[in-house]
Amino acid sequence: MMNPLRDAWQSIVRRDPLSTDKGKSELVFLNVWLHIHPAKVKKDNLKVKHTFYLGFITFFLFLILVTTGVALMFYYRPHPPQAYQDMKDLQFVVYLGSFLRNMHRWSAHGMVICVFLHMCRVFYTGSYKRPRQFNWVIGVVLFLLTLGLSFTGYLLPWDQLAYWAITVGTNIGSYAPLVGARVRELLLGGHTVGESALLRFYVLHVAVLPAVMTLLTMVHFWRVRKDGGLSRPVWKLKPEKAARLVTIGASDTIAPLTAVPASKDKTYGLMEVVTGKPIFETVSMEEEEDTVFSYPYAFFREGVALLATVATVMAVSMFWKAPLEELANPAKTPNPAKAPWYFLGLQELVSHSALLGGVVVPALAVLALILIPYVDLNPSRRPADRKWAIRAFTLFVVVNVVLIVVGTLFRGPGWAWVPPWVHITGAE
Amino acid sequence: MKRRSFFSWGTAGLVALCSAISVSLGAVVRFLTPSVFYEPPQSFKIGNPADFSFGPPTFLAEEKIFVFRDREKGFAVANAVCTHLGCTVGYFQSDQRFHCPCHGSVFNAEGVVQYGPAPRPLEWFEVTLTRDGQLKVDKDQAVPASYRLMVS
Repeated sequence: MMNPLRDAWQSIVRRDPLSTDKGKSELVFLNVWLHIHPAKVKKDNLKVKHTFYLGFITFFLFLILVTTGVALMFYYRPHPPQAYQDMKDLQFVVYLGSFLRNMHRWSAHGMVICVFLHMCRVFYTGSYKRPRQFNWVIGVVLFLLTLGLSFTGYLLPWDQLAYWAITVGTNIGSYAPLVGARVRELLLGGHTVGESALLRFYVLHVAVLPAVMTLLTMVHFWRVRKDGGLSRPVWKLKPEKAARLVTIGASDTIAPLTAVPASKDKTYGLMEVVTGKPIFETVSMEEEEDTVFSYPYAFFREGVALLATVATVMAVSMFWKAPLEELANPAKTPNPAKAPWYFLGLQELVSHSALLGGVVVPALAVLALILIPYVDLNPSRRPADRKWAIRAFTLFVVVNVVLIVVGTLFRGPGWAWVPPWVHITGAE
Repeated sequence: MKRRSFFSWGTAGLVALCSAISVSLGAVVRFLTPSVFYEPPQSFKIGNPADFSFGPPTFLAEEKIFVFRDREKGFAVANAVCTHLGCTVGYFQSDQRFHCPCHGSVFNAEGVVQYGPAPRPLEWFEVTLTRDGQLKVDKDQAVPASYRLMVS
C-alpha cells in the first residue's frame, strides 16, 4: 500500500531525499518554479542588512496585486457610472470586497515605495556596475511600469479623486512637444476623460502593463542569477576580485581567470565547450566554502519575507480603508485637486511650469537614471571611492522626497501654501 | 547564389521587412484612434436670452462655460476649462476673477492670466442667435475677449 503512494510522490518530485546534498540540489534545478535560484547561495547574500529583501518584497507585493486584482475583476465593470457603483458594492455588499480592495490599494502604494527603496539600495551598494549595467536599465523600466500601473489603476474607481487626478495627469502629457496631444488622444480614446478613457485604462491596467511587467521581471531575475546572484557586500570584496570580472571581448589589460582544479567529490555536467572568457562573476574554491544550499536556508528566508509582506498588507488593510470619494463629476473640480501622492512631486513642479516641470524635468530625470551605469565608469563599489556619485544620487532622492512632501502636506485650496497644522474653514 | 544577387535580394528583403513593420505600426496607431468620438457636440444651444440674468455670469456645468450678460454690451461666453491642465475654474464675484483650484492660476474678468502657471488666457467662444431665437455656442469658434452679442 505504501509503495504505490511513494511511487506516485516520486513521479511528481523526481528527486533524491532532501536529507542528501544531491536531493537538495535536485529540488532546485529539477523544479520549474525554483530553478531561478542557484542550488547554493552565498551566505552573505542571505543577510537582511545587506539588501533588506527589498527586491523580494517588491515581487511579493506584485503577487498580492495580481491575486487581489483578479479577485476584484469579478465584480468590476469598466464603464461609467457602473464602475463607481461596483466600487460601492465592493465596499458594502461583496463579501471581503472592501478588504480585498484595501489590500490592492495599499500593496500598490507599498510597491511604489519598495521599488524606489530597492533602487536606492542598488545604487548605494554600487550594484549597477559591470556586468550589471543593463539590469539597472531594466529596473528603471520596471519602476516606470509600476508607476504606469498605479496611474491606470487610479482612474478605475471613477470617483472625483480618480477623475481629476487623471484629467490633470493626462494634460501634463499633452505638453510634450509635437506628439503630446496625439498621445493623449490615443490614451484617452477621446479629448476628455470619459467612457473610452476608462475602458482603455482598464485594458492597460489588467492586461497590457501586467504582461509587460511579468516579462521584464523574468528578465530582471534571470540576469541577477546569471550575474552570479546578488552583488556581494562591498566589505566582503577582496581587492583582486574586481579583476576577476571579465567580459567576452574585453581588452587584454584585464587579468585572465585563474584555472581552478575540479574537485573530486563533485559532479559536473558538461554542456558544451566554447572558447572565450565568461562574462559572469566566477566562484573560486575558497569562496565555495562561503555558500550554503538554497534549500532550506534561502527558501526559508524568502518564505518568511513573503509571509511578513502578506501579513503586513493584511493588517494595514484591516485598519485603513482605501479612499473612495463621490461619483466623478466633470463639472466640479475638487479644491485642491491632487494627483496620487507619488505624482505630487511632479504636480508641484507643474504648478510652476507645465512644460518644464511636467515634461522636460521628468524626462531628463528618467534619462539620467537610465544612463547612470554608462556614465559612472568608476569600477570601485566602495563608498569612499565614489563620494560624488553618492552625493548626486542623494540629492536626487532628497529633492524627490521634499517635492512629494510639499505637494502632499503643504498645498491647500488653489495650490496655496498651507502647512498641515493650519486648519482652513470653509474651503471649497 | 552569387554575391551580387545575395545582396540585392537581401536589400529587397530588408526594405520589405521595414515597410511591413512601419505599415503594421501605422495600422496599430490608426486602430487605436477612434473613428467616432462619442463626446458632446462642440456646437449647441443654451436657451433663450431671457433665461440669463444680468450681473454675475451663469455657469453651465455640462458644457463647462460661463455665460456673461451685460445690460449695455450683451452676451459673451467664456470657457471654464483652465488652459494649464484642464481643471474647471470658478468665477468669484467678490474679486471678479476666475480661480483655478488645481494649481492656483488666476484670470481677470477678460480671462487674462494674472497669476499662476496657466500659459494662455481663458478662451472665449462665439455665441450667436438662431432663427428660433435661442442662443447658440460654438466651441470650435474662438473669439477675442471683446466679442459681444447684442440682443435687443
